Amino acid sequence: MRISELPEIGTKYEIESPKGDKVAVIFLTTGEIELYVLEAGAEKPSVTRLTSEEARRLGSVLTGAMLTIEREDVEVSFSEISDIRINIHICPVTKGMVGKSIEDLAIRKRTGVTIIALSRRGRSIISPPPETVFEEGDLIVMIGEREQIKVCTKEILGQV
Amino acid sequence: MNFLVDLALVTATCLALGLVSKYLRQTSIPVYIIAGILLGRSGFDLISSYNFVEWLGKIGVILLMFYIGLEFNFKGIKEPGRLFAGCTDFGVNFTAGFSLGLVIGLTLIEAFILASAVYISSSAIVISSLIENKRLIYPEAETVVWLMVFEDIMLAILLVVLTSIMADSLAMIPVSLAVTLLLIVFISVLIRGLSIFISPLFERDDEIPILLIFALIFGFSALAYLLSVSEVIIAFFLGSALSGVKSFKRLLGTTIAFKNLFLIIFFFSFGMVLQFQFVTLSSADFLLALLALITLSILGKFASGALIGKRLHGSLETGLRVGAYTTPRGEFSVVLLAVVLGMGTGISELLSSLVVAYVILLSLIGSYFAKHGDRVGKAMMVCINTARTRISELLS
Repeated sequence: MRISELPEIGTKYEIESPKGDKVAVIFLTTGEIELYVLEAGAEKPSVTRLTSEEARRLGSVLTGAMLTIEREDVEVSFSEISDIRINIHICPVTKGMVGKSIEDLAIRKRTGVTIIALSRRGRSIISPPPETVFEEGDLIVMIGEREQIKVCTKEILGQV
Repeated sequence: MNFLVDLALVTATCLALGLVSKYLRQTSIPVYIIAGILLGRSGFDLISSYNFVEWLGKIGVILLMFYIGLEFNFKGIKEPGRLFAGCTDFGVNFTAGFSLGLVIGLTLIEAFILASAVYISSSAIVISSLIENKRLIYPEAETVVWLMVFEDIMLAILLVVLTSIMADSLAMIPVSLAVTLLLIVFISVLIRGLSIFISPLFERDDEIPILLIFALIFGFSALAYLLSVSEVIIAFFLGSALSGVKSFKRLLGTTIAFKNLFLIIFFFSFGMVLQFQFVTLSSADFLLALLALITLSILGKFASGALIGKRLHGSLETGLRVGAYTTPRGEFSVVLLAVVLGMGTGISELLSSLVVAYVILLSLIGSYFAKHGDRVGKAMMVCINTARTRISELLS
């Protein structure tokens, strides 16, 4: 990555791929952002001008996907705090859990995962209290880091 | 209430002609000068108070130089080859202008003024054409932008030198130079010392920040005036001193808005006060001089561009593009002439008419070159290559 100041224009961030393709992002002093793509050997670059809002969205996608949907997993990242990634996992309760409460299973203590919502016969319970007892057919929504979710699916849900 | 009529005339004419220039996708700087010529002394003479419009125009020059100082950034000078690029640009084009000035019979000082006007490209036209033509990804864009920065430094130096050598007597030259330099040092030290007090004032959300800027600008300009130093130079150094005050960044937009408005009035007022003698303008000598000057200026930038391209980018074609981009002349040549004319010491009418006609034509021709920089570069390469093969054929 090359960063250069262009007085009266703005700041240029430039990256070149091994193939010789170039991508440059220029933060204009006007507050807008220009995105240049120059394919190796191409006559002219493609250029688009983005508002800061559009650039932020594009940035979120490029930093590792704002929303990666992988089966029933959703990963949320925030453009302002790019190092925070929250995984949201949605799954039905498994047989071993039915009749037990969140507290009984000690889900947070054992895995670090928090149950944030529960869907029961078409109704949702947001932030269920620890004494909530799981019933057959419940859908649960949990959040945590990717690793914590993995541990939870294994230990609590009994899936591999 | 005459001043209202004057203001209405100035703004409406500039608006109308400005719109036409935007519609034709031309640079608008010459258009505002032409608007001034049309309504002013050489034209229909419709302005009732020339002084009033001129004063507003002076504010425009001060704000322009303040802004240039503000944006001014020395850091780039360390990059390899950049000093070479800046000096080549200056060396080639200043020399070209100076020698031509002597050939057409100007005095040494006048030739110096002409050379400065020939050397300095128009940052406004060059930079906007780089953005519009989507050239920013190419390495030569950085070189071109750098050249503009270097020219800003040179402009400040040239102005200091010019205003000093035009002082009343020979003995006064070192004195006025010393006063100018002392005042510059005084401003930088003062702003740096006061920045702890100034900085929080700029962070306020009321009218205080904008008042503070103008109090500083007008205060130091007045001080410069009282010490008979050019207020334009002082504005430049005040801007560069204030760029060190971090919270000032917030006010950049406001400053630019004021600068843009008053600068247009400056271009207008510049055209307005000119006294063209159409006999002079249409004389063969004048036209010949103008033609020679324009040709030389274009060739000069291409030559310096080629040298710079070879050295910095290892490519003649890139260099020719650098040349094409830097061809437009504009606001700085006019500012330079206006400052010099403002000193009121014997500048021949030949020189001022020459520079005005030159700026109007070369801003238009130059922006054509800048707009089609890549094609111009390519076409010139084709010419050079065919010439080369011809010569080698002839030799063998």
